[in-house]
Amino acid sequence: MRIVGVAVLVVCSSAVWSQTGLDLADGKATFRGNCAFCHGLTGGGGRGPALNLGRFLHGSTDDDIKALIQGGVPGTTMPSFDFEKDELDHLVSYVRHLAGSSPHRALPVAGDPLRGRQVYERSGCAGCHRIGGEGSVFGPELTRIGAGRSAEYIRESVVNPSADIPEDYAGVTVIARDGERVTGVRINEDTFSVQLRDASQKFRMFQKDEVQAVISETKSLMPAYSSLSSDDLQNLLAYLDTLRGDLNAGAGVKREKGIR
Amino acid sequence: MKRAAWCWLALASLLSAQNVTYERLVHALSEQQNWLTYWGDYSAIRHRDLSQISTSNVKSLRVEWIYQTGQPGSFEAVPLVVDGVMYLTGGNGYAYALDARSGRQLWLYKHAFPPGRKASGVNRGFAILGDRLFMVTPDANVVALDARTGRLLWQTEMAPFNSGQYTATLAPIVIKDKVIVGISGAEFGIRGFIDAYDAATGKRAWRFWTVPAKGEPGGETWLGDSWARGGGSTWMTGTYDPQLNTLYWGVGNPGPDLYGESRKGDNLYTCSLVALDPETGKLKWYFQFTPHDMHDWDAAETPMLLDLNWKGRERKLVVQANRNAFFYVLDRETGEFLMGKPFAQQNWATELDAKGRPILTKNPGPTPEGTRLCPGLAGGTNWMAPSYNPQTKLFYFAVREQCDVYYTNPPVYIQGRPYWGSVSRGVTEEPEWGLLKALDPLTGQTKWNFRYFHAPWAGTLSTAGGLVFAGDQDGYFMAFDAQTGKNLWRLNTGNPIVNSPMTYMVNGRQYITMPSGSAVLTFALPE
Repeated sequence: MRIVGVAVLVVCSSAVWSQTGLDLADGKATFRGNCAFCHGLTGGGGRGPALNLGRFLHGSTDDDIKALIQGGVPGTTMPSFDFEKDELDHLVSYVRHLAGSSPHRALPVAGDPLRGRQVYERSGCAGCHRIGGEGSVFGPELTRIGAGRSAEYIRESVVNPSADIPEDYAGVTVIARDGERVTGVRINEDTFSVQLRDASQKFRMFQKDEVQAVISETKSLMPAYSSLSSDDLQNLLAYLDTLRGDLNAGAGVKREKGIR
Repeated sequence: MKRAAWCWLALASLLSAQNVTYERLVHALSEQQNWLTYWGDYSAIRHRDLSQISTSNVKSLRVEWIYQTGQPGSFEAVPLVVDGVMYLTGGNGYAYALDARSGRQLWLYKHAFPPGRKASGVNRGFAILGDRLFMVTPDANVVALDARTGRLLWQTEMAPFNSGQYTATLAPIVIKDKVIVGISGAEFGIRGFIDAYDAATGKRAWRFWTVPAKGEPGGETWLGDSWARGGGSTWMTGTYDPQLNTLYWGVGNPGPDLYGESRKGDNLYTCSLVALDPETGKLKWYFQFTPHDMHDWDAAETPMLLDLNWKGRERKLVVQANRNAFFYVLDRETGEFLMGKPFAQQNWATELDAKGRPILTKNPGPTPEGTRLCPGLAGGTNWMAPSYNPQTKLFYFAVREQCDVYYTNPPVYIQGRPYWGSVSRGVTEEPEWGLLKALDPLTGQTKWNFRYFHAPWAGTLSTAGGLVFAGDQDGYFMAFDAQTGKNLWRLNTGNPIVNSPMTYMVNGRQYITMPSGSAVLTFALPE
């Protein structure tokens, strides 16, 4: 009789354990299929912020995280997701598990942000980027880059911008009939036409049968800042990490395409 | 003289209006002014002997009329045109009859959904017999309407609704006195079938299960009880050979889509072409394109029936450009595999063996970490219709050049929930693109390609004017020289085109129709 009781206990406790394990496995599968693309296979970040630091940008409660997943983040590439309740529960459990298992801490990026701002100004970054209302619309907006990208991703984007080119900022060069070369960010291209924005922030629009060639640039239009000193680079990263402003705080609302 | 002839024809049309007999359906191609079935005829050749609009004047083609439904979603229906009246279905249970010359509405039908049932979903069109029209609905009903009024005549539930598990999207096909339809829902763990209903009463005449049960022939190709949720949707219309009295139907993917461990085996008759007796629903033969598929590569693409000289002998063939990126030629009397050639980038099979079975590459297929695999989930082509021109002897179809990263994971079955077994997504570094391809069906060789910037979802139409009409994902509706592939005309419709064009004639004037977005656009030459 006692033996049976122990057996029942073992079965029950193993059922509880395996249920939790299954939930985590379910959350992991959901994460890999839907989130890892931007946040990394282990949540280390990439195109999206790191999720393994225990630091969440839009509130840290389970409900905050669920609301964010269901609603997306307007003005960023984080789309909204339509998960069933249990899927969402398992996903949030898994994200918390990632944070708990990570040796990383939510530390500020090393370096001096004030000096980093000087590097930003000295290097002419505002000629292509903007922060708040200041700068150019040619390149990606940086108003909340510190919230939206991991420090490692930003470092790579500075020293080797071609490593990952956001779809909305792919470069294209048009060679007009008269030989003029027009390079810019591709706004749209289809079978018969191409529309781009040049570095002076002007729209340039072409019919393909009226030009010599349309060439998709394989490299980023941003120059590689690999010659920055290591101090300058670290200070710049520290500065960019502080940029966590509200994209919608300005006059206009920018909507970027969600991921596929 | 010409005018008098057309007046006479118009009078004859009036007399025969709403009397589309089975004989007329069998000889649909002798009524070049009409479009009597989803495919235009039973063979799905989608070529019309109309040459008023031709390579020499297509530059002048312009919009004749536009019909706006005001309904969200895209038109995926190919209209029927019977003696000057256009019948078509929209999304969400709507259907319409229009004056094919002016686009003016004659009647509108709205399917009544019981409370709590979803009212959304695309639809691909009508079938007609006598004065009756037949369509399916998003809640898996077959509906018969009076073609004169749009009034509901009968309605039969194909399968219990089960919180959205079963649904239906295809245009039915009418053979003799039967309305034959298929089902959708392999992404929700259904067991697929093809059904025949009595056109007069709506009573079910037969059912062919596309997934055999344990103990039935083919049941041994499913592990355990996996057949019960084995998928095998039949979401596109079949084709029919009246002489052989054989119905040909493409069967969809096994379920769960991307997870194969729980359903080890070939998983018959998923990703197959089945040849059925339309009187009884009995299987005559089958050919499986993708055994044990884990990529969602339904064989729902058009099984086109062609009579061609195959290596010195006239043979009855069925050809299909399959989602798995191979173009197949089979003998449609026996199901014998004759040829299979890749037409788009693919990395899953090195070749097909003598019987048409794929010899797999070392690509592991979907994994938990994700595997790059070509073609992508949407396939090298898909449900959008191809066409064949007997003059050029070329097969025109839309090719999607795109790879995906495929993930897999054991799914949990919950009724009404997606039962995919994980997901796929595009490979970021590899832009997708597409082709309009003209292919010799006897060799599988490409005669010409026209490159699209994005992978298309639009089918093709061939005409005796030496033209191929096609659409692309950026909204262009286009006409091409059928011999050379030169683009001769285009118009941007303002919405991705997710449909196939068709043509008809009223009072001696040729029209081309290409639905786009929630509008029906009809084109003609200036009078």
